[in-house]
Amino acid sequence: IQDDHKLSTSELEEKYGTSVDKGLSSARAAEILARDGPNALTPPKATPEIVKLLKQMVGGFSILLWIGAVFSWISFGIQLAQGAESPFDNLYLGVVLALVVILTGIFAYYQEAKSTNIMASFSKMIPQHALVIRDAKRKELPADQLVVGDIVEIKGGDRIPADVRLIFTQGCKVDNSSLTGESEPQSRSCDFTHDNPLETKNIAFYSTTCVEGTATGIVINTGDRTVIGRIASLASGVGNEKTPIAIEIEHFVYLVAGVAISIGVIFFIISVSMRYKILDSLIFLIGIIVANVPEGLLATVTVSLSLTAKRMAKKNCLVKNLEAVETLGSTSIICSDKTGTLTQNRMTVAHLWFDNQIYSADTSEDQTTQPFDQSSPSWTALSKIVTLCNRAEFRPGQENLPIMKRVVVGDASETALLKFAEVILGDVMSIRARNKKVAEIPFNSTNKFQLSIHETEDPNDKRFLLVMKGAPERILERCSTIMINGKEEPLDSEKAEAFQTAYMELGGMGERVLGFCHLYLPENDFPDTYPFDTDSMNFPTSNLCFVGLLSMIDPPRSTVPDAVSKCRSAGIKVIMVTGDHPITAKAIAKSVGIISATSETVEDIAKRLNIPVEQVNRREATAAVVNGMELKDMSLQQLDEILCNHSEIVFARTSPQQKLIIVEGCQRQGAVVAVTGDGVNDSPALKKADIGIAMGIAGSDAAKNAADMVLLDDNFASIVTGVEEGRLIFDNLKKTIAYTLTKNIAELCPFLIYIIASIPMPIGTITILFIDLGTDIIPSVALAYEKAESDIMNRRPRNKRKDRLVNEQLAVYSYLQIGIMQSVGAFVTYFTVYAEQGFLPSTLLGVRVDWENNAINDFEDSYGQEWTKYQRMYLQWTGYTAFFVSITIQQVADLIIRKTRRNSIFQQGLFRNKVIWVGIFSQIGIALILSYGLGHVTALNFTPLRFQYWFVAVPFAILIWVYDEVRKLLIRRYPGSWWDKNMYY
Amino acid sequence: GLILLFYLVFYGFLAALFTFTMWVMLQTLSSDIPKYRDRISSPGLMISPKPDTALEFYFNKSDAQSYAEYVSTLRKFLESYDDSKQSQNINCTPGRIFDQNDVAVKKACRFNLSELGQCSGKEDKTFGYSKGTPCVLVKMNRIIGLKPEGEPHIHCASKEEGTVEINYFPPEGLIDLMYFPYYGKSLHAHYLQPLVAVQLAINSNSTKEEIAIECKILGSPNLKNEDDRDKFLGRVAFKVQMTE
Repeated sequence: IQDDHKLSTSELEEKYGTSVDKGLSSARAAEILARDGPNALTPPKATPEIVKLLKQMVGGFSILLWIGAVFSWISFGIQLAQGAESPFDNLYLGVVLALVVILTGIFAYYQEAKSTNIMASFSKMIPQHALVIRDAKRKELPADQLVVGDIVEIKGGDRIPADVRLIFTQGCKVDNSSLTGESEPQSRSCDFTHDNPLETKNIAFYSTTCVEGTATGIVINTGDRTVIGRIASLASGVGNEKTPIAIEIEHFVYLVAGVAISIGVIFFIISVSMRYKILDSLIFLIGIIVANVPEGLLATVTVSLSLTAKRMAKKNCLVKNLEAVETLGSTSIICSDKTGTLTQNRMTVAHLWFDNQIYSADTSEDQTTQPFDQSSPSWTALSKIVTLCNRAEFRPGQENLPIMKRVVVGDASETALLKFAEVILGDVMSIRARNKKVAEIPFNSTNKFQLSIHETEDPNDKRFLLVMKGAPERILERCSTIMINGKEEPLDSEKAEAFQTAYMELGGMGERVLGFCHLYLPENDFPDTYPFDTDSMNFPTSNLCFVGLLSMIDPPRSTVPDAVSKCRSAGIKVIMVTGDHPITAKAIAKSVGIISATSETVEDIAKRLNIPVEQVNRREATAAVVNGMELKDMSLQQLDEILCNHSEIVFARTSPQQKLIIVEGCQRQGAVVAVTGDGVNDSPALKKADIGIAMGIAGSDAAKNAADMVLLDDNFASIVTGVEEGRLIFDNLKKTIAYTLTKNIAELCPFLIYIIASIPMPIGTITILFIDLGTDIIPSVALAYEKAESDIMNRRPRNKRKDRLVNEQLAVYSYLQIGIMQSVGAFVTYFTVYAEQGFLPSTLLGVRVDWENNAINDFEDSYGQEWTKYQRMYLQWTGYTAFFVSITIQQVADLIIRKTRRNSIFQQGLFRNKVIWVGIFSQIGIALILSYGLGHVTALNFTPLRFQYWFVAVPFAILIWVYDEVRKLLIRRYPGSWWDKNMYY
Repeated sequence: GLILLFYLVFYGFLAALFTFTMWVMLQTLSSDIPKYRDRISSPGLMISPKPDTALEFYFNKSDAQSYAEYVSTLRKFLESYDDSKQSQNINCTPGRIFDQNDVAVKKACRFNLSELGQCSGKEDKTFGYSKGTPCVLVKMNRIIGLKPEGEPHIHCASKEEGTVEINYFPPEGLIDLMYFPYYGKSLHAHYLQPLVAVQLAINSNSTKEEIAIECKILGSPNLKNEDDRDKFLGRVAFKVQMTE
């Protein structure tokens, strides 16, 4: 970074060819703009939409289906060349397969795009404007038109439009929290105070806000060259890791593709060696691939995820990346900010001390009264000081809002005091109006107090009232008496001691303490016309009467303690990372339960045992408060040790850069880490984390860009509901996949038996597609609505390496048990249809070649009747329809058993998930339409089926249900047994 | 080990269940007639001999080798119609449906080969192939219980007129009603379906041309012959190309 902060104004004018009074000329500015480009951050490089779309079309199973399509076209070409009778079947099949890939690809792309669009609209900013001096005139310009050398004027409330070297300031304070994480506003001046440009007071940084005061400065950096810009481009350099669910789905795709390819190849070889023609073998291979690939599954997964995303958005978790939905569920460590996330992000009066006693105030979000005892006259005096010695004011026009929600002009402490007074006393502004202010000394860092002098509202009392507040020790120095129960008593050492104790106690709770005192000026010395002069201070500022102390804190959100304890039972470690002081951090951590009531830090143990810190056995301490300064000097091993040995950790005084180190440390432990952040500087950590969570209200755009999720209400508790949803969707996806995989076997077996036993084809490739993309779609989405079987927040986060989405048990149980049962049921229907039409099972074996021969039109059945080719084909389609209907009927049973993995269906409730029933009805409805509605469309190969064939597979469907109930019963009865290990998926 | 045992038991059970349900299903079926006959309500037509490649006849009338297969197929096909094999068949009343519903043992009607005239293979051992007048037998698919109405007869036509002259045996391609209904393989073991021989006298100037011939069953309102999808329902088309 350059050394502009060290240069004088004239040197700067020279360097940038500008003038403080006149600014740049428009022509010169245009030149520089052309050279440097607009003053805006380059948005992160987005993948072109077409690439995203193409990715959807070649990813996952699509490749297999493309292969199938290409094979179909090849066999079409060969058959066409050979002059076969119906070569177009294969052409159509190829087209259908290609269409399936393209349509599901477009669908997945559309789903993705929809969720990304929410974000896009969200991150769209209102265009910023800046007040610039150009051509010696003040102009309002869009901020992106700023160039280096421009003179800009900034006032309270503005966003700093670029990196600016200040040349004139008046009471200017900036909020650098988006840059440094420090939540305290920092004063700015024109003085060069530090070698490091980041620390010096005469530079204001792009994207920070000016809280109060005014300033004028020279723009020294714009756009990506600003400090923020450089950090933001650093963040985009941190690679995006694959989400856990993406890894799981990839694993699953490999598994299914592996099965498909190996069965395909094995049967290709078998059929070739059984002297089938290569062309026929190729067609079998296509069938096997189509049967094995769950065409609709990836679309279903996307829909399920986006349904959950929608549900989460309602609970204030906006998910940018669909897959992040599940990542949240597998989170094992949450690194949370304190300010705004765990706390309400506003100073609130927490304790009072007057009459030698500490009172607690209500700090909840929606307080309307304060319960502490307000009868003492000391409180009356104290409340008067709180009300009067305060420059903060409500913005007008908010009378209808609850007090806590109103916007206040003023700093955090004064705001807290104003709201506190408003809650207890009512209309503060009118009290102030009745006690007219005659003189005032605002707070400054040398005095460390604030003072004002007022007329009193009592018309008979002509005295002036001097009120003062400030740092307690400074206030006490100026007092000679103290008010006890409304009476002034001399401030002796005993009373001073009591003050000290109270001050220490409040300070020890991490609270910011203010002292309050007053003095009624004698009427004789100070008549109404007395000219108060704040410069010469022609009034007493010592021997005042001390009234009391008020302490403030940014209190925890009321929902957070519950959420933290939920995390605890869910096995999620919550680590607080804050820029705040360790004492404040620890106090908040304790009050929200991040540090539990009984656990101690090393320092606590040392204090209790009265031994030096070094002698404490570090393993005994469950909690740790780590200072950023200590962290700086730590080796990676030391950090790992801390992360490993302590279950309750608070990092205080940390910079956002250190957050990245902490995240990496957690990831080294194998944890799935969620990180919250709002500042620009948080973006590398947000990117690095498995799931970055940006704050929707306080968050900067850079943070929102880097994050996977945006917390709309900035509330930690929303993360926990997100975790719950994430875990639920993982369980439910398991069910969806198990459901979908099952029928693949029932689709595959026909091909295998067709090849081996040479029976007429039991089910067609097109028919299979109607199951995969027709009847099965709604039911498998319906499983996403299934409620959790047990309290999912009572189990540990899933182990990335062990708890797979699709494990061996799931595949084996679906493929080799339920799938086979379904096949048996479907084959019984198939044989029944043929037998009742005249072809007994024994006649069917080995007939394939003659059966399919177009020239044989007197094919004899078991009863001596003769069939033409078309009559046989029609019977074959009836067989397809029967097989299809049987699979559908048994899929209903499959759907019901997949509702739970361990509990009985009757425990789960058969009717609790209404969507399942929508699924079942849709399934049967689609099958009815296909059979009876489209049964006359030859190309689809469906026929109107005799009504009784719908029921042939019903006993098998019931068997599936009963068998699965038995399985679940044994799992529940004998946990850990051989059965449990092999049958629980 | 345990897992193998489990699957052995599991699949054993499924196999038993499959066998059992199939057995139950087969018990519901009659061995005489299939439960449903709606898929073959109307019979198809077929010819004999039936060339391997679609229904196309290619032969050289002076090369016995080129039609040897047709001849042997015909010979084989007609074996079951030989008088010696029809000893227990009875002579039925022509022109009337031969209803035997009440009889336990269904009799088969005799079909005399002589009805096929020049195509019976008795006089001309080559069924006319050597003379350029090839015979093709047309038969109607057996369907249990089918009772044709009216006077069913086979009629063949060449697509291009004047290329071929067609003779039928029995005359006019008549299919006698006495051969119906059919009672199925087990009840009607000796049943012989009626045949119509079509003799094609190919014009000498039409040799070397491919002649497309279509035969239809006519004269019976309940036998379909115009189905769009099923090209063999009540009709059959074939091609003949003869060289010299």
